[in-house]
Amino acid sequence: MMKYALYLGCATPVKALKYEISARNVAKRLGIELVDLPEFSCCGFPVKSMDLFAALLMAARNLALAEERGLNIIGLCTGCISVLAEAKVQLEDEKLRDRVNEKLKMLGLPQYRQGVSVKHFARFLHEDYGLDVLRREIGAPLESLKFGIHYGCHYAKPSHAHDCFDDPSNPASLDQLIQSAGAKTIEYPEKNQCCGLTIRGTAENVSMKLAAEKLEALSIRGADAMVVACPSCCIAYENNQQLAGRKMGKEFNLPVLYFTQVIGSALGLKEEDLGFEFNRIEFHPTAR
Amino acid sequence: MGHEFIGGEKLKCCYQCGKCTSGCEVNRIDPSFQPHRLLHLFGMGALDELINGDAIWKCTTCFTCSERCPQGIAVTDILWSLRAMAYKSCRASELLSAQKSALFKTGRLYPATVLDHKKREKAGLPPLSEDSSLISRIFDAAKADG
Repeated sequence: MMKYALYLGCATPVKALKYEISARNVAKRLGIELVDLPEFSCCGFPVKSMDLFAALLMAARNLALAEERGLNIIGLCTGCISVLAEAKVQLEDEKLRDRVNEKLKMLGLPQYRQGVSVKHFARFLHEDYGLDVLRREIGAPLESLKFGIHYGCHYAKPSHAHDCFDDPSNPASLDQLIQSAGAKTIEYPEKNQCCGLTIRGTAENVSMKLAAEKLEALSIRGADAMVVACPSCCIAYENNQQLAGRKMGKEFNLPVLYFTQVIGSALGLKEEDLGFEFNRIEFHPTAR
Repeated sequence: MGHEFIGGEKLKCCYQCGKCTSGCEVNRIDPSFQPHRLLHLFGMGALDELINGDAIWKCTTCFTCSERCPQGIAVTDILWSLRAMAYKSCRASELLSAQKSALFKTGRLYPATVLDHKKREKAGLPPLSEDSSLISRIFDAAKADG
């Protein structure tokens, strides 16, 4: 059995239960063991705006904790994964690594020794589990459904931190993952546009407009649902959907699903095991 | 990086081509937000103007500019450096202050409420741990850096 440390981050376990539930059950169904490390803390993302070195220490600490257990990291939040992966690249610098390790030692924490990999769960399924293997497991292909994929900015960017695994300006891996579940995915010009959530409190109009434009683009193209891979993006498109619509004088009714809910449905998992009850805009993949 | 500066090593290489700005989603909607201008001001040493202004808080940190820069300048990281400088001069946005308070109290950006804990339990999800001193200890350790 494949065994990994599950990096949940701050948002998923509180704001995105459907993501956590569906990810855990998809992993279980595919024979991937996800281990919880209660010592994991915030990745450091919000701290980057306060103290970059403190943010790096937080990321390094999380990396070191997984490494100490001999586990590579699989994560669900694109932001967290990006921050941890960036820290890994920064810590390739020996001098910086020594300074960070000195601090970790001071704090009574394990040292970081560059022996851990960090991947988003979607990237892991695409790259390590493999689409061919996944396709063989799909028992209930979602052939009648058409989804609009939203990657989230930090899914493949900064590209060097993610080993350039996907094209940062025209990513395809998540589309391919959803296609391997039998569904169609929509090509649309706004595909790479940011959800805008990070500036919700500081530039509200821009934030809402960014979200509304994408919701509109996919509504016009007849998407059955939007598919996301990050809890923050989901908040922007699902929780704030009516608000974004009102701001722009539009009314949207676009279900927002996590890719794990889609894959899980195609694997034949039950709706209750994929957190569908938590979708704010009702959606039943098998009823269509 | 001694002065809070990851990613700025290449700042001097900026020749103001504006590719960062022309690809910026925020600029498209709010033309007053111009990343190339922020780089120019930073290069000129106009830190007060940058730190006291609203512009540095309008970036979504989507990394499009960093990917597009022909000189490989980590524009997004420079924005973070500027925010950190603003934060240290007590000019942080309200949102950031609220985030800081949550992080310092619980170690989590989104602390779980009693209801959250109950929902998780009902869904059969493992309990969430909190640490009320971890982040402050990490900040102290970072500060003690020479």
